[in-house]
Amino acid sequence: MLRFVHRCVTPCQLHRFPNRSVDMGWEKRDRGGLYYTRSKKVDGRVIREYVGGGTLGHLTALQDAQERLRREEEAALWNEERERLEALLALVEQLCEATEVLYRATLLSAGYRRHQRGEWRRKREPKQ
Amino acid sequence: MSPNNSLDKGRPMEGSPVPELVTTSKEEIEASEKRVEKLQDLLRLAEKGQEDAVPEIRQILSKHPDLAWRFVDVAHVAEDALIEVMTKEGDLATKELIRCQLEAMRKEIAGKNCSPLEQLLSERVVVTWLEVQFFETLYAQDMPTLTIPQAEHHQKRLDRAHRRHLSAIRALAQIRKLFKGTAITQINIADKQINTTA
Repeated sequence: MLRFVHRCVTPCQLHRFPNRSVDMGWEKRDRGGLYYTRSKKVDGRVIREYVGGGTLGHLTALQDAQERLRREEEAALWNEERERLEALLALVEQLCEATEVLYRATLLSAGYRRHQRGEWRRKREPKQ
Repeated sequence: MSPNNSLDKGRPMEGSPVPELVTTSKEEIEASEKRVEKLQDLLRLAEKGQEDAVPEIRQILSKHPDLAWRFVDVAHVAEDALIEVMTKEGDLATKELIRCQLEAMRKEIAGKNCSPLEQLLSERVVVTWLEVQFFETLYAQDMPTLTIPQAEHHQKRLDRAHRRHLSAIRALAQIRKLFKGTAITQINIADKQINTTA
């Protein structure tokens, strides 16, 4: 939506757009007027950067909103891809689990036991 | 150990019935999955030292000798799904090429006259190998555009696939080593099970 905004818009006008994240960072000053700020993390601490009001503030707000949108889209794509791969791997996991169970069950029923969760050894028959 | 159980003496049964995989219904697969779950519970008990779980495990295995075969089908489905993702849509030549390569691998790994369990373990080796190839290709393709957390995620997935592949190879090697030269053939005559050692 924001990509089609060609003119400078005030925060009040931006309320009309469905993406409300554009409003983020606007501060109302006591003496009147709005001021655009943004927060970022520097060495683990949150630092607030004061950008400005007027045209500069609006342009930076739009730029930031577009960057946020791009990141959100990228994250959504990444999540979608991850889910698709996980669904694909569910079959491989099911196969591996079933094989492991059958393999262990066969060894156990054939008289083997696992020595300290590692090597399989033949169980000694009790002396008659 | 019960004298009637072919598994007592070594190598898993050879010559157990091979089910018609094409006709394996959803219910049959679900029933097999339930049996495996039951086996898993019994294995947990047996590994905790409960000796009475072992005869029950033996009973399930001898009652359902086709259990391993049922999961060979799952391996084929997983393999097909991986091939679909790895190749472009409609690229039938590459798909066929990969299938032929996997078939050759499967034959080489399983060998002739293998038991159902060996066949299943071989299938697992092939599928996990394909999984490793898939993740390596994906990682190489995406590497230039990945962020650090995304690259780490890829690396973890690749490591997991490697571990699965190695564990599949280890299991197959172990089964072959432990049951070496003690092939057991199961013959059913008039509903009576007879086990012969080769």
